[in-house]
Amino acid sequence: MLDVRTLSLLLQGAGVSLLLALGSIACATLLAMALCAMAFSRWTAVRAFYRLYIYIVRGTPLLVLALLVFYALPALDLKTGPYVAGLLVLTLYVGALFAEVFRGGVLAIPRPQWESARSLGLPPGAMVRKIIAPMVVRYALPPYINVCVMTVKASSILSIISVWELTFAAREIIERTLAVFTVLGLAGAIYFVMCFGMDRVGRRVERRLLAKGFVGAPV
Amino acid sequence: MRYVNWLTAYGPTYLNALGWTALTAVLASLGAIVLGCALLLIRLTAGRWGKRAVDGYVQVFRNTPVLLPIYLIYFGFPLIGLPWPAVVCGGLALVLQNGAYVSEILRGSFRAIDRVQFDAARSIGLGPWHTFRKITLPQVLVYSIPSLGNQVVLLLKDTSLLSAITVTELTMQAKLLTEQTGAAYEAFVVVAVLYLVLVSATEVFFRAAHRSVRWTH
Repeated sequence: MLDVRTLSLLLQGAGVSLLLALGSIACATLLAMALCAMAFSRWTAVRAFYRLYIYIVRGTPLLVLALLVFYALPALDLKTGPYVAGLLVLTLYVGALFAEVFRGGVLAIPRPQWESARSLGLPPGAMVRKIIAPMVVRYALPPYINVCVMTVKASSILSIISVWELTFAAREIIERTLAVFTVLGLAGAIYFVMCFGMDRVGRRVERRLLAKGFVGAPV
Repeated sequence: MRYVNWLTAYGPTYLNALGWTALTAVLASLGAIVLGCALLLIRLTAGRWGKRAVDGYVQVFRNTPVLLPIYLIYFGFPLIGLPWPAVVCGGLALVLQNGAYVSEILRGSFRAIDRVQFDAARSIGLGPWHTFRKITLPQVLVYSIPSLGNQVVLLLKDTSLLSAITVTELTMQAKLLTEQTGAAYEAFVVVAVLYLVLVSATEVFFRAAHRSVRWTH
């Protein structure tokens, strides 16, 4: 049942899945930095907007958001196609998760660090760059990697709004050949390699960063 | 105003779909908790190979999207002579995946209990059942209920994926209404609000459950 054509279609699909995931991880990281800054804003309205955004995104399924954007964009005369819609939705969704991860990282910074940074008279920009950011990176990395793995898995949902990626390719082949177990087993194996690989790479980066005498290092 | 008109026209059609979403979510959550307990039991009692098998199971389900088991069961089971209804197939897939996560949550909570307590329980003459009932269970519940609540929320949101295999739950209902009426986004906005309500209700429930088992306040 398993021929070269099937395998090459699935691998092409995997490539698209990986590009979608990596693209939205990159965009979502930038979005999350902005959102995280909003979470610590001095204006109540900005903080309220942040809470509302997180509440809505975490409380609705990704598929509903995807369908909403997929059907609403053409109605607003934006002919973008499923790929842009998919990338947009995944970015908005993952951005909220990353923002919470970063916020947790900022809150985990021990209080004396803030006080000593301030007592050194560092200007706010330098304080964020030299003290806050390096520590947030270390605290937030493990959950950040989890969300990255989740992004790869979540990208499969975009197949429902007709984004041609791994899950879509698998379903297409199944409908033609009825080789359900082979094709889905293979697709599952490819997802496993992508997610597990991402997890392993993340762990390695984590160990690297922790090696430089980090206060929050696990004992 | 627009949404008031929308709701008076199509509100009742959502109720049936809401029922399916809630029913699938509740039953699949219960199934996942039972499966999670069973997996943990196997992992703790069935020796080295039991541990390896359960760890393998958890790794496989943690690193693959839930849409795959859904399709696998829905398209695959009829081929091996099990033509189950779509909602059962989808529910089973949700149970299988979330059971893996639940077993990890429970394992983490179990490991958080200080080993010394089990020695202490034996030294005051408690048998296995009483140790479980009086020492293990109360602490596992306190540690695990917040994470279990998160997992149930994730499962609730994942029931939307059953719309891909023809189950008429909330997401499918919104899709049908959109295609019938040609309204671009009203149907999905209403459904998103309904999901928000369901998720918030779940969170309130688990927070109350957590309060009721906590022994310190």
